[in-house]
Amino acid sequence: MNAAIEVKNLVKKYNRAISPSVDDISFSVGEGEFFAFLGPNGAGKTTTISILTTTLAKTGGGVRIAGFDIDKQARQVREKVGIIFQKPSLDTQLTAEQNIRFHACLYGMCGYRPTFRMMPAAYRSRVLDLAEIVGIKDALFKPVKKLSGGMQRKLEIIRSLIHTPDVLFLDEPTQGLDAVSRRGLWEYIDDVRRGSGTTIFLTTHYIDEAENVDKVCVINHGRIAACCSPEVMKQSLLRQELIIDADDRSALLAELDSLGMAYAANGRVTVLFKGSAQDVIPRIQTRLSTLRIHEPSLEDAYVEFLNKTGGVEQ
Amino acid sequence: MSEMAAAKGVGRSAALVRKKSRTQREINTIIAIFAREVTVFMKSPGTIIMSLAMPIVMMGMIGGNLMENMAGGLGFSFGSFMLVGMLVNMLFMTTTMGMSSLVDDHETDFNQEMLVSPVSRYSLVIGKILGASFVAIVSMAGTLIVGLFMGITLPARQLLLILALSPLMCLSGGAMSMIIIGLIKSKKAANMAVSLITMPQMFLSGAIIPINNSIPRPAKISPVFACLFAARVGSSGQRATRPASLPRLSERQKSIANTEKILAGRGIAGY
Repeated sequence: MNAAIEVKNLVKKYNRAISPSVDDISFSVGEGEFFAFLGPNGAGKTTTISILTTTLAKTGGGVRIAGFDIDKQARQVREKVGIIFQKPSLDTQLTAEQNIRFHACLYGMCGYRPTFRMMPAAYRSRVLDLAEIVGIKDALFKPVKKLSGGMQRKLEIIRSLIHTPDVLFLDEPTQGLDAVSRRGLWEYIDDVRRGSGTTIFLTTHYIDEAENVDKVCVINHGRIAACCSPEVMKQSLLRQELIIDADDRSALLAELDSLGMAYAANGRVTVLFKGSAQDVIPRIQTRLSTLRIHEPSLEDAYVEFLNKTGGVEQ
Repeated sequence: MSEMAAAKGVGRSAALVRKKSRTQREINTIIAIFAREVTVFMKSPGTIIMSLAMPIVMMGMIGGNLMENMAGGLGFSFGSFMLVGMLVNMLFMTTTMGMSSLVDDHETDFNQEMLVSPVSRYSLVIGKILGASFVAIVSMAGTLIVGLFMGITLPARQLLLILALSPLMCLSGGAMSMIIIGLIKSKKAANMAVSLITMPQMFLSGAIIPINNSIPRPAKISPVFACLFAARVGSSGQRATRPASLPRLSERQKSIANTEKILAGRGIAGY
């Protein structure tokens, strides 16, 4: 698989900063891959994304996007990427369609015409199609300031896709959205990825949004703490938990002691194990009143990773 | 939904193909940014009212008072002198104020959208200056109309000269404001800075009040002075801000263009 994003020994140190914000990080993202870049506030996520999108100069290292060097071929890089920023970057005085038209003109997709009707047929049909899929067709000609936060985010997605980017950067795209809008947005992004093979680079604070990514990279204190698939990350760090209880709890605890099983007994009895629950359950003879297997989430693994790599600055 | 998306061609551009000529794309960018500025202006009643009220306040009220008190014994038409100064100043000031909308774009993050696009920074700035110039031309037209109501007219030759130079004057106003935009990130501070820079230039360069042989050195290097120097022709009263032998039009254009070159270069670097 060819690399859509290649980062080698990237360093960024701001003027007068004591230590680098991004400290010698390296990773690569394959074409069509869904990549999540996670980290706590101030870890270096936005600095990295700003460098990758050519809006911030790096101090050292090398970056190639879609095969182009970000220093020598910044214009080509910009043509190949689409970006959804942390904060909406729409002109609220224009209508939704005028925002898209402006973007399409900036990216050289069509010549500017004063009205939507005068725009080329290819542009009109593409905008209408995308608006229908995302569900903002009725709001296309309304001023952006009258659209809800969710609608504005959807509009930004249409706008970022109108020039068919090879790599789509999503910098906390669901920040401030309600659950329904978040879900709708992810369904659509998933469709885009499957339909066009666009590489997606995601940063988010909602770790559950990264459960289905191909690769996850955790950055902490400017350094890469882990870079692997979510499954590998979960397996390498967390033991699974068996949550059990019995009417005769003292008998259950005595049995667990005799079996030499590690457990924690607070409001419930939690037995830690590795491998298959099938191996553990038959060994317990006490009649159980509760039996539940707890699968660790990516968020559990993420928090554990951060704790192991120096914790989080409060 | 996936099938639907695929059927609709999600992520594919259909016949929407990127233009290959870089020059064409840069020109298209300038037009798009200019059109955005005009659209925003048309959608903002407050700005329209302000751009029409400004000539009434500047020309009708301030100019009217000055004419009453200063016109006697000057030996030339103070009205015509003032009208030329007002026109130049209006073009310069309105363009400069219009350019401060770049700070708005900083604040609303719309700037990011432009800065990550694959176009030259010069195209972005030129489009912005042309947009601000549109508003300035509206104000200039308003000033001429107010002047007509006050009974002040200009010789056709001079009016045509000002119109011919107006794009360069707007560009110099826009280029000047680029320096401010490069340094200031808050709208409030930008508005104050625009007034601080345009008002002294207006008074020190003799835009509306004749200054005989006492133009301060800093005013002589100001863009407003360069624009006034280029626009004033003929009448003895206008000798105050021009040398005895007035250069040709092409030389005057060159003089403004040089000022712009320095200002725009510094400003765009800051942007």
